[in-house]
Amino acid sequence: MDLSSVFFIGNIMNLERIPNEEKLSLCRRYYLGGFAFLPFLWLVNVLWFFREAFLKPTYTEQLQIKSYVKKSALGLIVWVAVLTTWITIFQHFRAQWGEVGDYLSFTIPLGTA
Amino acid sequence: SSVEQKIYVVLNETVPCVRLLNATHQIGCQSSISGDTGVLHVLETESDLDWILSSGPHPPYMVIMETAFFNRSVMMRMKNSSRVAGVAVIISKTGLADNFSPHTTCPNQNTGVYSESYGSDLANCNGTVWNPLGNGLSYEDFSFPVFALKDENQTQVLRKCYEDHNQRVNGSAPQYPLCAMQLFSHMHAVTDTVTCMRRTDLQNRFSINPEVLCDPLSDFNVWTSTRPLNNSAKGHAADESVVIAATRLDGRSFFWEQAPAAEGTVSGIVTLLATIQALYPVTQEAPPPRNIFFSFFQGEAFDYIGSSKMVYDMEKNDFVIDMNNVHSMLEIGQVGLLSGRSLWMHSDPVSRQNKSVDTEVSEMMSRIQSAAAGLKLTVDHPSVSQPLPPSSFQRFLRARRIPGLVLADHNTSFTNRYYESMYDDAENLNVTYPPGLTPDEQLVYETDAAKSLAEVATLVARSLYLQAGGEENNLNNITADPKIVAQLLYGFLVQKNNSWFRSLLPPEVTKKGVNSPGPPQFYIGLGPRVHGPAHSVTRFVQYILANLTGTVTNLTESQCQNPSELSTENKDLFSYFWVSGPASVNGTREPFCVRASVRLSKAVSPAFELLEYGSRNYSTWTESRWKSIRARIFLVASRELEMLTLGVGVAVLLLSLLVTYFISSKAELLFSSARETPTTTY
Repeated sequence: MDLSSVFFIGNIMNLERIPNEEKLSLCRRYYLGGFAFLPFLWLVNVLWFFREAFLKPTYTEQLQIKSYVKKSALGLIVWVAVLTTWITIFQHFRAQWGEVGDYLSFTIPLGTA
Repeated sequence: SSVEQKIYVVLNETVPCVRLLNATHQIGCQSSISGDTGVLHVLETESDLDWILSSGPHPPYMVIMETAFFNRSVMMRMKNSSRVAGVAVIISKTGLADNFSPHTTCPNQNTGVYSESYGSDLANCNGTVWNPLGNGLSYEDFSFPVFALKDENQTQVLRKCYEDHNQRVNGSAPQYPLCAMQLFSHMHAVTDTVTCMRRTDLQNRFSINPEVLCDPLSDFNVWTSTRPLNNSAKGHAADESVVIAATRLDGRSFFWEQAPAAEGTVSGIVTLLATIQALYPVTQEAPPPRNIFFSFFQGEAFDYIGSSKMVYDMEKNDFVIDMNNVHSMLEIGQVGLLSGRSLWMHSDPVSRQNKSVDTEVSEMMSRIQSAAAGLKLTVDHPSVSQPLPPSSFQRFLRARRIPGLVLADHNTSFTNRYYESMYDDAENLNVTYPPGLTPDEQLVYETDAAKSLAEVATLVARSLYLQAGGEENNLNNITADPKIVAQLLYGFLVQKNNSWFRSLLPPEVTKKGVNSPGPPQFYIGLGPRVHGPAHSVTRFVQYILANLTGTVTNLTESQCQNPSELSTENKDLFSYFWVSGPASVNGTREPFCVRASVRLSKAVSPAFELLEYGSRNYSTWTESRWKSIRARIFLVASRELEMLTLGVGVAVLLLSLLVTYFISSKAELLFSSARETPTTTY
């Protein structure tokens, strides 16, 4: 998951002309990168490789790509659930938490509790 | 911006109600961040009230409230209704009720001397309710903006807009478009001072763009003494036994920076200034054994800011004198509405249970009685079990049980029917001038109020002289000048931009002009950081004292700024003021340097120095900050028309997208007419 491969991505949005081993390596990099608290990498992984993994005719690397996409999707769902829960709780209870709420906040709205 | 001018009529003079916070509560008014808009409706009758609160078809309403309806019951009903977007109160004397005081019934009840541990049966106005006419509106929290309409022309603009568009025809509802008003007064601070100061600290430490949310109320006290005190020597002053004569400098009302405070504050200020003027020459010729210390306390309306700070400094040995130097205290309360009745000497029954204090207080009262002998005044004392009225003396008693009295024109509750309101003005104090006088003639015209206050000042001056141990046979030389009292009343109640004030202020203030016309406002404000070197009232009192008690020196301007360079001048004992001087015939002034022992001392609550923002012992009042306060009126269309316009716009957008898509996909078919005209190729 080095930076050069991420920049390289901008030039190869179209997966048509890329050899399958490189596709697998890309997918794996994105999957592993998502573990560094980067759920958007998993989201990109799922959206980008969905057609490759489930809608294209079978090829050798497709099984592994499929597994990476499924695991990325799982991680994404977990993140979405956790974040949604925490954001809901925070927005609802921040004012009541008083001092703790203020210390947890980056920007405190003016004029409302 | 010319389109904006065609739509909106901006109201220039806005008098808002702002949010104030203390340790536990927030009071005042708040608007939404993008202003509150409502359809105008003038509240003149009870049926209007029903229309606004229940039957009107175009909520929310922006209420234009006639004076008679600005009372607690109506405002509480507005507060509990969701159909009110804001209130604009017409401030006028027509329709004004017999009394109106938005203050609480028991002013400063938690920061006075009476508490569970000291006179518990007298605490919380159990003994005497001092302000029974108070409706407590100033201490309520409104979630909509409340503005005051003081300017008659502006009120006329609003009425005209209402009559043209919003008037009901034969009982049926008016049709759109309707006249609406939008009020902006979004306050930044919330909940209480503790929260607000904590958030300010967090902002200052961690944010890239720190925003201060609120500021503590602060300004300066003014003090002087008959014998100069060494300002650089703090703590106990050797061989000094001091009689303190005090009064308050500030007032408040429901609205921001509006506080004419005539009977509540000006009567005390003018009396004490006249007392100093009467007393000063005699104390220089035949000085009494004790020093007399005069003090004007700022911020007393907000839980005794100034007096608590001075007592705190005295206890910390951070002031020119300390509590051991204080022999006794005489405070001047509200003394303006005597009208031939007697003056009352209030004392504290709890401290008088101590025999020595009781003897001292009785002696003080008898001295005042004897001083009143030759005057037209009568003095009396209320029943011995009655507590002290709200006064700065209570803060001194909290520190030490010194003998003292509070002079007032009321026996039990206040005679002031407009206590801490916008209607406590010159008229409330019976300061009216016969028509046809020029401003300069009005300045020196001696009204009955001026003569009455001059009598009170003479009494106070003679009593202070006796209290300080002076000789009885000097008393006849102590008389307050009614002309000076008249000038002071004119300057503080009618017009602060008069020839006398201009002559005793520094040249840069005189040249700049004393800003707005009319009387000064006595709200404490936020002090030097926001309002300039000193609040205008504090400055006036300081320079008036310099004029009344100071000596003219022949120092040049640079010497006046740095008098320590001269061996004959002493910066520790005196202050030096460069003042304008009277205007000569052709309008020029010759400034000169005045030396006086007048000083300012900081009046900010000790809670902010100790960083105890939730303090129960000291004032914790802060004023919120805001971005902009303005008001404007415009015509609004009905909600249906707005939605229709939006819908049509969205439909046009989608239609145009569709058309563009079709044309784009059939482009070769539609634009294939290039074969007839041969194209020139280069």
